Amino acid sequence: MRWHVVVLGLFLAAAPRWVAAQGLPQGYAGADTCKICHEDIYNTFTKTPHDVLQTSAKRGWQGRACEACHGPGQMHAEGPAADNIRNPAKLKPSAADQLCLTCHLNEPTQAGHLESSHARNQIACTACHKVHSSDQPLVVRQADAIVNQCRTCHLNVWAQFQRPFHHKLPEGAMSCVDCHNPHGSTRPAMQQTFAANDPGCFKCHGDKRGPFAFEHAPMRFQGCTACHEPHGSANPRMLTRAEVRFVCLECHANLPSSPVKVAGVVPPSFHDLRSPVFQNCTVCHQKIHGSYVDRNLLK
Amino acid sequence: MKPLICLLLALPVWAQEATPPAGNPAPAAQSPAAETGSPVPPTGSWLTGYVDLGYVWVSPVGGSYDAYRSIIDIHSGPKLLGADFTLTDPKHRWFDTIQVRASTWGAEPSESLHVEAKKSGIYDFNGDFRDFAYFNLLPSFADPLLSQGIALDEQSFNNRRRVAALSLDILPGNWWTPYLAWDHDSNSGNGTTVFVTDSNEFPVPNTANDSTELYRGGIRFRKPHFQVTLEEGGTVFKSNQTLYQTPGSVNSGDSSTPIFGQTLYLSDLLAAYGIRGSSAYSKGWLSANPASWLDIYGQFSYSQPNAKVNYQQYDGGNLYLQSQILFYSSEQEIVNAAAQQPHTQGSAGAEIRPFKRVRIIENWMTDRMHDAGSSNALDTLLVAGSPLALSALIDSTLVTDYNQESLDIFFDATSKLTLRGGYRYVWGDALYAFLPPAGLASADHEQLRQNVGVGSVTFRPSQKISLTGEVEGASSSGVYFRTSLYNYEKVRAQVHYQPLQTLSVSGDFLLLDNQNPLAGTNYEYSSHQESLSLYWSPHNSGMFDIQGSYTRSDLVSNIGYLEPEDLAPAVSRYLDEGHTATALIDLAWPHGKRFAPKLSAGGSLFISSGSRPTSYYQPVVKLRVPLGKHVSWFADWQYYGYGEAFYLYEGFRTNLVSTGVRLTQ
Repeated sequence: MRWHVVVLGLFLAAAPRWVAAQGLPQGYAGADTCKICHEDIYNTFTKTPHDVLQTSAKRGWQGRACEACHGPGQMHAEGPAADNIRNPAKLKPSAADQLCLTCHLNEPTQAGHLESSHARNQIACTACHKVHSSDQPLVVRQADAIVNQCRTCHLNVWAQFQRPFHHKLPEGAMSCVDCHNPHGSTRPAMQQTFAANDPGCFKCHGDKRGPFAFEHAPMRFQGCTACHEPHGSANPRMLTRAEVRFVCLECHANLPSSPVKVAGVVPPSFHDLRSPVFQNCTVCHQKIHGSYVDRNLLK
Repeated sequence: MKPLICLLLALPVWAQEATPPAGNPAPAAQSPAAETGSPVPPTGSWLTGYVDLGYVWVSPVGGSYDAYRSIIDIHSGPKLLGADFTLTDPKHRWFDTIQVRASTWGAEPSESLHVEAKKSGIYDFNGDFRDFAYFNLLPSFADPLLSQGIALDEQSFNNRRRVAALSLDILPGNWWTPYLAWDHDSNSGNGTTVFVTDSNEFPVPNTANDSTELYRGGIRFRKPHFQVTLEEGGTVFKSNQTLYQTPGSVNSGDSSTPIFGQTLYLSDLLAAYGIRGSSAYSKGWLSANPASWLDIYGQFSYSQPNAKVNYQQYDGGNLYLQSQILFYSSEQEIVNAAAQQPHTQGSAGAEIRPFKRVRIIENWMTDRMHDAGSSNALDTLLVAGSPLALSALIDSTLVTDYNQESLDIFFDATSKLTLRGGYRYVWGDALYAFLPPAGLASADHEQLRQNVGVGSVTFRPSQKISLTGEVEGASSSGVYFRTSLYNYEKVRAQVHYQPLQTLSVSGDFLLLDNQNPLAGTNYEYSSHQESLSLYWSPHNSGMFDIQGSYTRSDLVSNIGYLEPEDLAPAVSRYLDEGHTATALIDLAWPHGKRFAPKLSAGGSLFISSGSRPTSYYQPVVKLRVPLGKHVSWFADWQYYGYGEAFYLYEGFRTNLVSTGVRLTQ
């Protein structure tokens, strides 16, 4: 084992000269110095998009990419210890975020940062983006890998997808980011948007977008979740209720407008719900998402 | 010998000649010639990745084949089960890398293809295509004849939905980056829907197709302290739908109960919708950090979609106009309609860090939409051989104005403990009106006023454990709907504990309690979910690991209404108590063995009781056996079992076996 000590001593003694040879700013050691001890991490890092820091002069970190996040490393190179180098993994989430946002704040992906419940709940960027992991890329792209990542925290949501009627996430046809923007959004639940400011649902369900000559108000005021459980439901069509009529009757309750003061309670409908034909309202009110030609949403 | 080799390796380090410190290595001061690197990972092969080819066999479905198709819809046949590979051009001529991902091609309910091509600093291209089979035929959903033993669904369909997206970023990484994108969504198919006349409904076949094209382009400006993105875009929408019945045929909706001595029937029908729409929008967003303690954000968007409609209908039979107590033998209706919907959305906010331990997030957003529609209908009935013309001109208006102002303060009490307190005020107005007033409804005008308080705590005593708790409470003086959140409390707690490198446990608790005590509403809603998950890899070598989760959920909802037939008070009570479990156990032969197989077993189950007691089982077993350096064989078995207590005839069960080879490079 003694030869290891000798060699390590030689490297450490050589490090300051090496640093100076690279023309690095005071206090910096350079990525090649980091590589001497952290070769596996360095090699993994070179396969990530962040490697551009190491190779591109534009970013200002050429030759010292590791120190872009870990801070100046010369002291650590001279006397390796955990407490003389910054370790973002041990920072509090807001500090780790600030570190990432030093470069990434001014990117379109961060447009909804303030509304991001991830940011508000202290979920750091590194919770999802592994900067130099050997078994996970910096940005996960495959649908199933994205879902696997999200469900480690959103256990209850993943459980909803195990219900029979669900969007096709477990099947790998979709992923969470098809509907949600994990960086934040102006829409509730960090929904994606479509065509500037419509809910992201319309990206796939364009026939529901309208505008309709006769709108169904909840579609616009409350969105699809007024009637549907988008993650999954035991009810057909992912409805919030087991029978269609109750989805409708809970709002269209045949009550006088005063003192209720909410939408849709009137007029009273005189359908006899004891008759099966009236028990599923959408049998006749088929254009329930909005109609182009009929104010009663019948056609 | 080893020390000597190491010493020789270290010599070049000593041989470097020291130069004075560079001082400030400003990026611009560095030679452009130095920028010769590429983010492309060095690789020994121009092609890396895998392709899974195989055959899927689905056993005969026991139970309802229609329910199987509505939920699973996988068919037997040869398939491309998956692919994920990367092409690399070491000379970086036309591209640096092209990544291709594909899943389940060949008679599958969902197929996808994704392509990414990049050339550093020149372009970044993304292409995505997905194809969904969209089948639904569940009599429990919409079958008025169910009590007569006739199982059909008057709102069934068999469609294919295709979604595609292409985007191209030019000069990525530059301080200004133009981009272009195209999104496509289309749907085509057929099914059953209803033709509704004044006093009866007739199930009829229909064909429908629609498509939406979204074109957009913009430019991103990015400097060290700010970013601005400007985007212009527009959509083109078209939709055609046809309902029909062959002349002289019998309709299953023909009424057998006479009205004034006459039975109602539909003898022929042709109804056609032609809908064309378009929109244009402008959008911009910016972020900036003018000072080290301040970040600011802002977004603005304006869109104005519109639609024009031409609807024509001809129907014959013996039909009844209830409002005028008239029987008619044929009807011809023409409707021209139009709608437009200007929609403005904006938000602005800032994150302020006045002290080291304090962050303040202030955010405001507004969303205003105005939908204006009108329809002009001319309906001509043939009553006892004489034409009767009815016309109607109706305008509709829907206006919504939603606003939100929020303030959150974060305090880092210690390096491991963060506290958050926040307040949000939500207000808005909504108007929905028909002009001229028709029927009993003319206008709904509601207000939204909601005060929301939020508090949370995040505690990370070590890297092995994290605890997060959040409480949100709201008080409202106005909401839009009876079922809206009114006076509510939300509680969420999450814990993650990793006692060992090989063992981690997570827990999640979620509670939502909503009350609307107003007279005429009396809405009570309560739901909670508790989840626990575990991951254990005892040897951390991939030889054996187990992961599993369990979630229990409860939902109770009570809200009153008046029965439509006699206005008697009634309660809509919805109960759902669900148990969900997922598990997967991986067993792998020790590394180093040439044909080391890997076996995975697990699956998911869902059991619920309450308003729609349901069970859904999906056990799965997977076997992987490497056959060589670049080839492995796999075989999967999966069982699907769906059961429904109230609608037994919708249950189904089937086995799915797939086998194939994975080719790896």
